[in-house]
Amino acid sequence: MTPVIAANDLTKAFPASRRLSDLLRGHRPMVRAVNGVTLGVGAGRALGIVGESGCGKTTTARLLLRLEEVTSGSVLFDGQDVTALRGKALLPFRSSVQLVFQNPFDALNPRFTIRRTLTEPLRNFGIPPDQQDARIREAMARVRLDPAEAYLDRHPHELSGGQLQRVVLARALVAHPRAIIADEPVSMLDVSVRAGVLNVLRRARDELQLAAIYISHDLALIRYVCEEVAVMYLGRVVESGPTAEIIAAPAHPYTRALVAAVPVPRVDQDRGALPIQGGLPDQVNQPSGCAFRDRCPLAMPRCAEEAPAPRSIAPGRMAACHLV
Amino acid sequence: MASLLTVRDLAVHYATAAGPVRAVDGASFDVPAGSIVGLVGESGCGKSTLGRALMGVMPRSARIAAGSAVFEGQDLVTLPDKARKELLWRRLSFVPQTAMNALDPVQRVGAQLMEVLTERGGLSRAAAASRAEALFTLVGLDPKRLRDWPHQFSGGMRQRASIALALALDPALMIADEPVTALDVIVQRQVLDVMKELQARLGLAMILVTHDVAVVAYACDRVVVMYAGRVVESGPVRAVLEAPLHPYTMGLMNAFPDLERAGGELVPIEGSPPSLLNPPKGCRFAARCPFAVARCAEDPPLVEDAPDHHAACWRSAEAAALRPQAARAETWAGVVA
Repeated sequence: MTPVIAANDLTKAFPASRRLSDLLRGHRPMVRAVNGVTLGVGAGRALGIVGESGCGKTTTARLLLRLEEVTSGSVLFDGQDVTALRGKALLPFRSSVQLVFQNPFDALNPRFTIRRTLTEPLRNFGIPPDQQDARIREAMARVRLDPAEAYLDRHPHELSGGQLQRVVLARALVAHPRAIIADEPVSMLDVSVRAGVLNVLRRARDELQLAAIYISHDLALIRYVCEEVAVMYLGRVVESGPTAEIIAAPAHPYTRALVAAVPVPRVDQDRGALPIQGGLPDQVNQPSGCAFRDRCPLAMPRCAEEAPAPRSIAPGRMAACHLV
Repeated sequence: MASLLTVRDLAVHYATAAGPVRAVDGASFDVPAGSIVGLVGESGCGKSTLGRALMGVMPRSARIAAGSAVFEGQDLVTLPDKARKELLWRRLSFVPQTAMNALDPVQRVGAQLMEVLTERGGLSRAAAASRAEALFTLVGLDPKRLRDWPHQFSGGMRQRASIALALALDPALMIADEPVTALDVIVQRQVLDVMKELQARLGLAMILVTHDVAVVAYACDRVVVMYAGRVVESGPVRAVLEAPLHPYTMGLMNAFPDLERAGGELVPIEGSPPSLLNPPKGCRFAARCPFAVARCAEDPPLVEDAPDHHAACWRSAEAAALRPQAARAETWAGVVA
């Protein structure tokens, strides 16, 4: 099955320093926020991208959405390379791949009614006015804001956080996308309303056969909504595969540490010491070879010499470590 | 164990143009000496307001409207400002929500620690310098980094530094407001491990204000669950999290994603918390509670339903039968708030 949206060896480099002394010396260190990322997701499936802050997960999402120029590699939509598309040529892609914003309190214009918020994208994508109302009602029903009349003429401040996040999702859905990319879709919401929003997202994906990508730092949450997961560390995917398998038996030492660190809401937890040391290394001066080696309890001399290439370790599973 | 802090019927109100907002409305709980107590609840439940009120760090619009908070024999509510200031840092200290707020960005981290040690603690410079090094070591920071500026620290290191600052004068109780919320899971775990070690080594008691049940499960001995300005349940962590008596606690546990729980769905609590400007009469959770009955129109008192385990619910005696129902999404689906 061809993935609806895919990244092929994507790399994004940013200038690392804005220091005047560096500029004067003509020295321009670069940081590879995303470094050779390959992943994809098919219709009706969900892929989670997890990792700590600074691992490149949000930049990956922005590259996939074509909100950020790619340094090298390509973005594929239905198998077609869309990396080079610009301006008007990008419009069909823009309506087909929608972003679900992280913070519902910031994502909506406070002076717009919900109706206007939902009309805006329809106008941008050239949907004729006589079809707009039906589209809006359909999207509102999808996110379970029923009846739509109860919400459409209200302003964001009149709605709760959970309702706002559903409006944010409805705004993505009015465009009839084939894929949605959600960056920390519930991190701003309380636990009690999170579950409701996640259920709505999951149902929309199933009913519309959307390809979904969730960006999150929370592996426990990803487990509930994504069949597949890609774990990122310093710009690279270090492990990917079925979520349940990876949580049950993580192969990469970093994934092992991440799984061990995720807090669980139970008292009896025999969690032992964390199999990791230190903190994230400096983005500019990453260690040679494997980027994880200076924190890895299993590092060997070879890890300093050679970056481990991603390799298949089981059907549908990949890890980038010399020890697997 | 002896109670280090005893809070009874504490109420904190914010003055607004529309009238008082009852952010904390009659909270009662105990902090035994040397224990870590989790103050848990969702945004707007009053947990941070309560933590700050105990420290006396409140915005001008807030005031303690009623109740008492007896700490080492003195009521923090009626204590004159001067006497209260004497307690701060020495007996009672605070770690604010974002570590950047605790650290002055234009002063080296070590200098800030020295200032507390010499000016408030009365230590000589030499004694303060060695104490600063010992404190850094205690929280797992390299003493060499005392010379660093706050911006040179990562988020986890700042949080460790602000804990070191709070511990400078060897207090008996440290109140930490969402100390690990902004941190990545691995760093989160490392900071929580530091806090547990401080408890074990120094016998330090802590109040850990958090929205995260998993943080409570990992680090706390006791838990106080708040909802809409009230304490709805409190007791030893094991009793409260494994056999919750209040439907809100049951809902919170079922809504929380568990990495290791096989299968299962997340169960949302439909609706949203009430306005604290005009809180509803009776149980404040009743509008969202699938188990609400006519009696819930009356205020349920916080009572000791099991040894050392308090809950404010008329149906707490039936909790064992309600728990399996609360684990199903259909149970909550019919509630219209």
